[in-house]
Amino acid sequence: MTRTFRAKIAMPAVMLAMVTILAACSSSAVPSTTSTASNATTSGIETPPKVSLSETGSTLLYPLWNIWAPAYNQTYPQVSITTAGTGSGTGISDASNGTVDIGSSDAYLSSSQVQAHPTLLNIPLAISVQVIAYNVPGVTAHLKLSGSLLSSIYQGKVTEWNDPAIAALNPGTTLPSIPIVTLHRSDGSGDTFIFSQYLSKADPSGWGTKVSFGTTVPWPAAPGALGENGNGGMVSGCKATVGCIAYVGISFLSQLLGDGLTYGQLQNGQGNYELPTSTAVAAEAAYFAPKTPANGTISMIYGPVAGGYPIINYEYAIVDSTQQSSPTAKAIRSLLEWSVDPNKGNSAQYLSQVSFQPLPATVVAQSSKQIAKIQ
Amino acid sequence: MTIQSSSYPDTRRRRITEVLFRFATMVALVLVLAPALWLILGVIFRAVPHWKWSVITTPTQGTSGGLENAILGTLLLMAGVLIIAGSAGVLAGIHLAELARPRRSGKSSGSFLRTASEVLSGFPSIVLGYVGYVALVVGLHWGFSLLPALLILSMMVIPYIAKSTESALRQVPTNYREGAEALGMSTGYALRKVMLKSALPGIVTGLLLALAIAGGETAPLLYTAGWTNNLPSASLVHHPVAYLTYPVWTFYNQPSSEAHYLSYDAALLLMVLVLVLLVASRIIVARTQRHSEGRRG
Amino acid sequence: MAIVAGSTGLPASPPASGVHPIRRSSLAWRIGGAIRANEEQAWRWSARVASLIPLGALAFVLTVLAVKAWPAIKVNGVGFLTSSSWKPGNTYGATVHTDGVAHPLGASYGAWPMIAGTLQTSAIAVALAVPISIGAAFALTERLPRWLSQPLGFAIEVLAGIPSVIIGLWGVLTLGPFLSKHVYPIVADQMPDVPVLRYFRNPTGHGEGLLTSGIVLALMIVPIIASTTRDLFLQVPPLPKEGAEALGMTDAEVARRVTVPWVRAGIIGATVLGLGRALGETIAVAMISGSILGSVAPNIYGTMTTIAATIVTQLDSAATDGTGFATATLAEAGLLLAVISVVVNLIARGIVVRTSRLGAPVGRA
Repeated sequence: MTRTFRAKIAMPAVMLAMVTILAACSSSAVPSTTSTASNATTSGIETPPKVSLSETGSTLLYPLWNIWAPAYNQTYPQVSITTAGTGSGTGISDASNGTVDIGSSDAYLSSSQVQAHPTLLNIPLAISVQVIAYNVPGVTAHLKLSGSLLSSIYQGKVTEWNDPAIAALNPGTTLPSIPIVTLHRSDGSGDTFIFSQYLSKADPSGWGTKVSFGTTVPWPAAPGALGENGNGGMVSGCKATVGCIAYVGISFLSQLLGDGLTYGQLQNGQGNYELPTSTAVAAEAAYFAPKTPANGTISMIYGPVAGGYPIINYEYAIVDSTQQSSPTAKAIRSLLEWSVDPNKGNSAQYLSQVSFQPLPATVVAQSSKQIAKIQ
Repeated sequence: MTIQSSSYPDTRRRRITEVLFRFATMVALVLVLAPALWLILGVIFRAVPHWKWSVITTPTQGTSGGLENAILGTLLLMAGVLIIAGSAGVLAGIHLAELARPRRSGKSSGSFLRTASEVLSGFPSIVLGYVGYVALVVGLHWGFSLLPALLILSMMVIPYIAKSTESALRQVPTNYREGAEALGMSTGYALRKVMLKSALPGIVTGLLLALAIAGGETAPLLYTAGWTNNLPSASLVHHPVAYLTYPVWTFYNQPSSEAHYLSYDAALLLMVLVLVLLVASRIIVARTQRHSEGRRG
Repeated sequence: MAIVAGSTGLPASPPASGVHPIRRSSLAWRIGGAIRANEEQAWRWSARVASLIPLGALAFVLTVLAVKAWPAIKVNGVGFLTSSSWKPGNTYGATVHTDGVAHPLGASYGAWPMIAGTLQTSAIAVALAVPISIGAAFALTERLPRWLSQPLGFAIEVLAGIPSVIIGLWGVLTLGPFLSKHVYPIVADQMPDVPVLRYFRNPTGHGEGLLTSGIVLALMIVPIIASTTRDLFLQVPPLPKEGAEALGMTDAEVARRVTVPWVRAGIIGATVLGLGRALGETIAVAMISGSILGSVAPNIYGTMTTIAATIVTQLDSAATDGTGFATATLAEAGLLLAVISVVVNLIARGIVVRTSRLGAPVGRA
């Protein structure tokens, strides 16, 4: 064999052969158990065939998917699930493009998206919460923050932590005179969606008209503002930046606290300041549950609930109801049915790890109906 | 000094300039090497303390597990690029060097193609990734998969391979060409047996450099290969492929420290891969030059 | 002659008595000739097709971009290049139509901050990288002994191969915090309040921003320029340099008046290669720039974004704009970046061809 042949043909061929053999060996090692293991299933959860599913989207739901996927695989190991935390915007767009099987989003679909892709469903999976975290040295209390105050902060009108506006709401706390660094999401984010919705509803004439809400908004120029990637970026950015304020999903609460950050009490629609306790969240959810339409599209922000925490939302699975292959459709239905089942995915065993709330029973029924549409 | 300097201060100024120049060049060298050393040591010190060999044999699961899927995916992408871009690039280089020799009277078609090739090599990779996403992944409904990734990566590295092939072929002494023609060899025979053999070191260097570039790309792969926990399969479309740059880009600001370790491990593996490729090219060049004439020593 | 016959697979039959060896089988001769001619054609044809691939790819990419960007070009108009807003509009509100293009109410995009960020970071990167690379190349070729300069030269080539995502990671985790804690405050405190230097005053931020991005980009392009320049310096013939030394010029003067002018075209070519990389660098800048759309950095430490970084952070979510307008705008930004990159490349090739006596770039550039 000449050197040319060796270098140009044999070497790549050998490499390719090696890789293919490795891949074939490894993939054949995946157990392909049949459905006999799950004969005695709980009602409503179908047995899926052997497929690979891909999920991408909300970084708020991502930690829960990483808990759900292995748990689901314990009963149904034949479905291999790949998760990714890329932002709700990506979840929605990849699901509508068909490049991912399940898109996760904290934001429901907009009317223009529904017009463009009429077969897309947004299916509530759980109830999640958003907290406002801050890194102010010497302040460990849960500061009272109102929507209009946050709106002023993020518009750059309130620039120091010891500003009278903040002090007025928190008379007992000594606030240092360090600049406020506002953190926002640079990627298309459901957290941005629910945060900007809160600001729009709490400050309709200011934020509501100037900035409004969406998965991406035109952030006003606040001094020193930083854009971060994903909830993880918000937490690590806030940890590294003294004086920061950031909106973070509650699934990152333990990391927040571990990094020495605190979160605030938010003013709700009745003017009361609430912490994101499970009672406050449940109160807010209970108000909106009967109002939730069949397609799941509803905003649960800033409700007129006296003891309710104002920033809560449904976590949605964005799925195309018309799938290319029916085995994939069956697997998707199975996974989603498992997730909303109050004894399975929606049980406290999993949700409490990320501080989420389970879906109310009426919403579970609505979600199941939507899931059944996936063919 | 052999010349009569015109004025005393002038000589002193020149001496000072000379000293400053020597000092500045050494400082510049340190400025080039020190941050790079800092970087490499930084990655090593972050990755090695938490290194587990199971990282190589376990696929990724969420943000934990291992990197087996990414390692195999990167190797598969490199192999594919070697085949596609390697053959196309070498052929293009042959054309530019041998078959479209510039005529003395003015520009040949070769220079236009060369310009296009250089322009493509400087193209922002994210734009190529976007085009791949729009036209191939979504437009042709291939989904995140191997084929769009290979096509876009090949597009990026063909100019490098063509350029190094062309310059390697140009450095082959004309006597060889003339001798081959005098013996009546056909073009193909002359190319295979004479030209490419002598140009092999340069060509292989270009190929390995192209592989290093392809393995280190992130932006185009984000939009063509996607990401998966599964090991690469043989299918060209509809199945996403994992690659080592993804965990580096996405896992470093996940909250779990396991994710951070995976990110650093992937960075370490990438650097090792690049080092292996470049050392291999050096060895091949040294070994083949031992047999050829005109060693640069 | 027998060698040639054997190479094309003619049968090695013994010559018939009295017949000339070449004419022993005219059919085999014709087949051999046909194979040879076809092989020649096959090589020529496939090589020509292969050389057209970059051109075809370029045309394909620009066409796709133009087609996708056209709706946005119509609506955004020339203001895209000068305006500073990045408003996706009310994506959850009504859809309106302008010039026949659907878009959300209030959508208005301006790319000036991105353009400024791209040009600023690349300018900083080139301004830092070129003198350092040339100095390092001199150190490698003139000052150091061979046994040291070869491995160090190889080390620099390895640096060129480090993936940009790793450099970005290091920038975010190590370099940015280090600079913002130890370097920037010292620099910023010494700066007087005069027009140009005002740009270097406080606030110094937290490590993510314009200057850090520029430094990281410089780190990326230095290996390219340095190793190419070193190769070029090695190719300068010793005679002119020795002649200059014989005339009594110092090393610095030899460098300035002989070596550098000799390879000026190649250095410019390598610089442009580096500039092209800096303009298009996506991942590292996205990690270290602070990702602020909508405003230019207020001072040199300020957060900003570049076109490439914007595309990579906004692309996925742009499709949530159901009208497709956001995606079209990003395509327009990509087209803009492509045009800038092409123009820079062509200008540099023009400079190289014009200033070079040899008519083509010397060396590995």
